[in-house]
Amino acid sequence: MTNGHPTVSINNISKSFGEFTAVSELSLAVYPGRIYGLLGPNGAGKTTTIRMIVNITAPDLGEIKVFGEQITPELQDRIGYLPEERGLYKKMKVGDQIKYFAALKNVNAREAEQRVDRWLARLKLAEWKNKKASELSKGMQQKVQFINAVVHEPELLILDEPFSGLDPVNVEVLKEVILELKSAGKTIIFSTHQMEVAEKICDDICLINRSRKILDGSIREVKRAFSRNAVALRLVGGDAVLEDRNLLSKVRRDSDGIEGLLAEGASSQALLKALIAADATIERFEMIEPSLHDIFIEKVTENA
Amino acid sequence: MTKLLAIIKREYLQRVRTKFFVVMTILGPLMLLGFTVVPQLLVGIKTSETRIAVIDQTEGAKLYEPIRSGLLKPDKDEEANDAKQAVAGSVNSNQKDRIEKAGKSYTGSFRVEEVKLSGRPLEDVRRELNARIGRGELDGYLVIPPDILSNSETKPAYYGRNVGDVLTSEQIRNRLNSAVRRERLIAEGVKDQDVDALSKAVGVATYPVNEKGQEGAEDSGAGFVLVFVIAFLIYMTVLLYGQVVLGAIVEEKETRIAEILFSSVRPFYLMLGKLIGVSLMALTQMGIWVGAFLVVAAYILPGLAAKGMDVNLPNLPLLFFVYFFMFFVLGYFIYATIYVLVGSMVTTTQEGGQMAMPIVFLLIAGLYMAFPVIRAPNSPFAFWVSMVPFFSPITMLVRIVSQKPPFWQIALSFSIGCVTVVLWLWLAARIYRIGMLMYGKKATIPEVARWVRQA
Repeated sequence: MTNGHPTVSINNISKSFGEFTAVSELSLAVYPGRIYGLLGPNGAGKTTTIRMIVNITAPDLGEIKVFGEQITPELQDRIGYLPEERGLYKKMKVGDQIKYFAALKNVNAREAEQRVDRWLARLKLAEWKNKKASELSKGMQQKVQFINAVVHEPELLILDEPFSGLDPVNVEVLKEVILELKSAGKTIIFSTHQMEVAEKICDDICLINRSRKILDGSIREVKRAFSRNAVALRLVGGDAVLEDRNLLSKVRRDSDGIEGLLAEGASSQALLKALIAADATIERFEMIEPSLHDIFIEKVTENA
Repeated sequence: MTKLLAIIKREYLQRVRTKFFVVMTILGPLMLLGFTVVPQLLVGIKTSETRIAVIDQTEGAKLYEPIRSGLLKPDKDEEANDAKQAVAGSVNSNQKDRIEKAGKSYTGSFRVEEVKLSGRPLEDVRRELNARIGRGELDGYLVIPPDILSNSETKPAYYGRNVGDVLTSEQIRNRLNSAVRRERLIAEGVKDQDVDALSKAVGVATYPVNEKGQEGAEDSGAGFVLVFVIAFLIYMTVLLYGQVVLGAIVEEKETRIAEILFSSVRPFYLMLGKLIGVSLMALTQMGIWVGAFLVVAAYILPGLAAKGMDVNLPNLPLLFFVYFFMFFVLGYFIYATIYVLVGSMVTTTQEGGQMAMPIVFLLIAGLYMAFPVIRAPNSPFAFWVSMVPFFSPITMLVRIVSQKPPFWQIALSFSIGCVTVVLWLWLAARIYRIGMLMYGKKATIPEVARWVRQA
């Protein structure tokens, strides 16, 4: 899947603000038509990296190429950016607002007019077109901000924490739109600290912690590399089996059930048999891949 | 370029469409009228007539009648100021002059009575009058010494309930003064009918001579008036619209839009677009005001002229007006860009308001610089001060009007001003971009200096 030239390629960039190092020696490549997850905890350097990609700041060292070229103000028109720090002009009408941002990306007025209607309809905001932004709910405002970022139909879309503060219904709407854009061939960089969200929509990921890259690659590869014979269980009874360290080396309980790691030499078959023998009622028994969250925690503790 | 236009258009339309703009456009001239005319009217209002008594101790009480008629009659302006002096005077007038003038225009009404000593000692009569003042039957009385016509050292005295009423005291003093002078002249043998002609004030006509030795037309100093009008206009414009510029710059920070904008347009264009947009708004508003003023003037001036009022417009070459306009615009932009700079450093409008205080001081300093420059327009001080961008719009204009400096100096001063404007914008754009990246934190001056070096 990683064919063709990368849409964004970052080569060994570093950026510091005075004493504070925000990004150090980071390299990555984002390929066309994929959703790339830039993941890491708050303060890891995700936003700084993104700002360098969209030409708001320049790296101290290293090189960034977008669409195969050094970034220029002209190239900015082909990028859509939804920053984490985002807002709207409170006293401006929603429609005018979107048209303004389109104009700032060199979309002509007539074209912008049509796109405004299309996008507002798509995100179920059509009747709000002539309302001032301050009259909108927070969720609606966020959708307008999203339209601002995509109205010029950018080839590269960068979303910094796009779901934060959205209700589940709107998260689904936005996710759908993002996947639509992907199937339309757009490249999307998606930054978040919520690993569960990234897991569901990203093709490739890059994990960053404390200004440094921990690992990157396609989500499949990453998970395969970290598969550890984890098993998800939901049981009534069978507690004794779970305590058997010959079968399970580690057990974690949460509200939804139990997650365990098979002990060295133990097979899933053996565990299942033991549970049946213990007369436990098995509601769920599934071999699972490790979550990105787990991988992240493991890598971070391993590096520390 | 299309982006810059989009920014200008938004900034302009967003501001012109607000109710605030409409209200300000209508209220502005009314407020100005209120601030200039109402105090004058208030000073002139005399709620009741002033009752004064005159103790004239001169032989035959010669002064009582002239003083009385002087106070009762509307002022006939015995100092014979001609209209031109009045114009020049209004510029340089100090507080006293102005009060006197106001007193002349709004002659209060008096009731005057004569009190004769009739052989009683002055002390007794005064005690009696003091008692009447105490009872509120009298407002004041004037004691004229017997030897006033022969001895120029003696002083009449005024005793009054409200000596703080400078207007009234001034009027009494004026009438007394002219009456005494008149009687003294007559005592010296001047014929009564000649007194007025002889004591008429001398008017001096002034003519400029330029560096080529050519005489100009009579110059009444109306140019100075214009310079101060321009200075006042710059001052008002900066005060009125500086805050708007500041608000426009801070707007994206307060609404957290800055980052999206920076991914679309260069900060310099954003700054420039905002400045131009707000300035066009200001121009629109002032245009409406000037237009309204001209319409009103077109109705009123012919009426005034018909009534015999001296309506002469300042006699200045067209080139002066070109310079006036150029330096007015330059002055506005020099100060407006300082507001831009302040706006780029702060995170909220309130913070900006505090930081913008020194700008007003700079403006006032520029105004004060104008005075030494008028007195010596070609001194080294005048030269340097007219090259400093904060002061040049006012001081250079003063020089142009008073003693036109060589063209290269005007051009240099103007260029320095323009460079300053661009420099401020460039600096502001840099600070704005970096400041935006450090959210919610107020920048200190050393930090800002570091950012400028870094970016």
